[in-house]
Amino acid sequence: MIKILLFAGLAEQAGTQAIEIDMEQATTDEIKASLKEQYGLESIDTAMIAVNESYVKENTSVSSGDTVAIIPPVSGG
Amino acid sequence: MEERYSRQIRFKQIGEEGQKRLADSHVLIVGAGALGTAGAEGLSRAGVGTITIIDRDYVEWSNLQRQQLYTESDAKLRMPKAMAAKEHLSAINSEIHIEAYVTEGTAETLEPLIEKADVVIDATDNFETRMLINDLAQKTKTPWVYGACVSSQGMFMTVIPGETPCLSCLFEQIPVGGATCDTAGIIPPAVHIVSAYQQAEALKLLTGQKEAIQRGFVTFDVWNNSHMKINVNHVRREECPSCGANAVYPYLQDWNTPKAAVLCGRDTVQVRSESLKRIPKQELIKRLKTIGKVEANAFLLHIFYEDFRIVIFNDGRALVHGTNDVKEANSVLARVIGL
Repeated sequence: MIKILLFAGLAEQAGTQAIEIDMEQATTDEIKASLKEQYGLESIDTAMIAVNESYVKENTSVSSGDTVAIIPPVSGG
Repeated sequence: MEERYSRQIRFKQIGEEGQKRLADSHVLIVGAGALGTAGAEGLSRAGVGTITIIDRDYVEWSNLQRQQLYTESDAKLRMPKAMAAKEHLSAINSEIHIEAYVTEGTAETLEPLIEKADVVIDATDNFETRMLINDLAQKTKTPWVYGACVSSQGMFMTVIPGETPCLSCLFEQIPVGGATCDTAGIIPPAVHIVSAYQQAEALKLLTGQKEAIQRGFVTFDVWNNSHMKINVNHVRREECPSCGANAVYPYLQDWNTPKAAVLCGRDTVQVRSESLKRIPKQELIKRLKTIGKVEANAFLLHIFYEDFRIVIFNDGRALVHGTNDVKEANSVLARVIGL
């Protein structure tokens, strides 16, 4: 089980803050693509990704037990 | 001075010595909206000796719900935010020096201000200006605190040139199309949490306690009760164009700055922006629908916002009808698109 945490507008669009994916292994790109398709999250491409609370930039492999946080930067001030 | 700051001096991490350092310090606050007024008030009360504040807008009624320095009279008089802020801050603390600039934050206007500052507080409402601050901060080796908020969420990160990753290390391109306060709304607690962190970080830096700063990117949602600190220590890149060994400060380069032009006789400003091109159109339409009716065809989309009519072309151009003022047009686009 891979746990996905959605923040800001992404959580609102998806209608949930946490999603569990029943997979042993996946890459962060695969996860993004599947969320984009399933929930129509067009803006997911500009979001920051953190795996187990550590920032990842490149496409990264994650396994069951990992938590992937997807955080769109906000601009208001 | 003793009595006024006694409770802060009693806080042992600041003490007499720290208080003296604050009095000799200079903070630049870029933006006098919600984060700007909260940060400016806190740091003025704390006794930071010089505070410079720059903002391009004037006070409107919709600001009063969260932009804590402003009054109904400021909104009635449409006072420029920087001037209104200066007036209120001077009434709060007459012992400090406040400088106010009513102008747009550009490479030209910000560079001389950042050069004089010990710490910069980011209180802008758009990423174009943040990336400018990021480059100028690296160029002048000035620490700054990124902060942003929308709806019930916020985030912040302290950037110390030469030590921590910078905003360009995290975002290779300007993040575009994010929610803005005008599209997703905002509640004051989200503002105050971000600002409280920014002020704390500023106090640590100004009193020479870099070791105490928050190393990481913090994000929270005060309505949904989440808080996460993301480790970014490994993200600093040698090849980063803003802070790497061969930094070129990409956002200070002419090709990267949004081009605005007044269209003569049309009461219209045209803004051309590379990042506007990259926002997925469907996403933009969805977002703008929360403000008003969006009409779109294959080439452009069209929306009414306040007294303005905005047309956004697929090629990265936006026309803001209803103004001849570049500053105002940029401000409208910042509020509507976060550009």
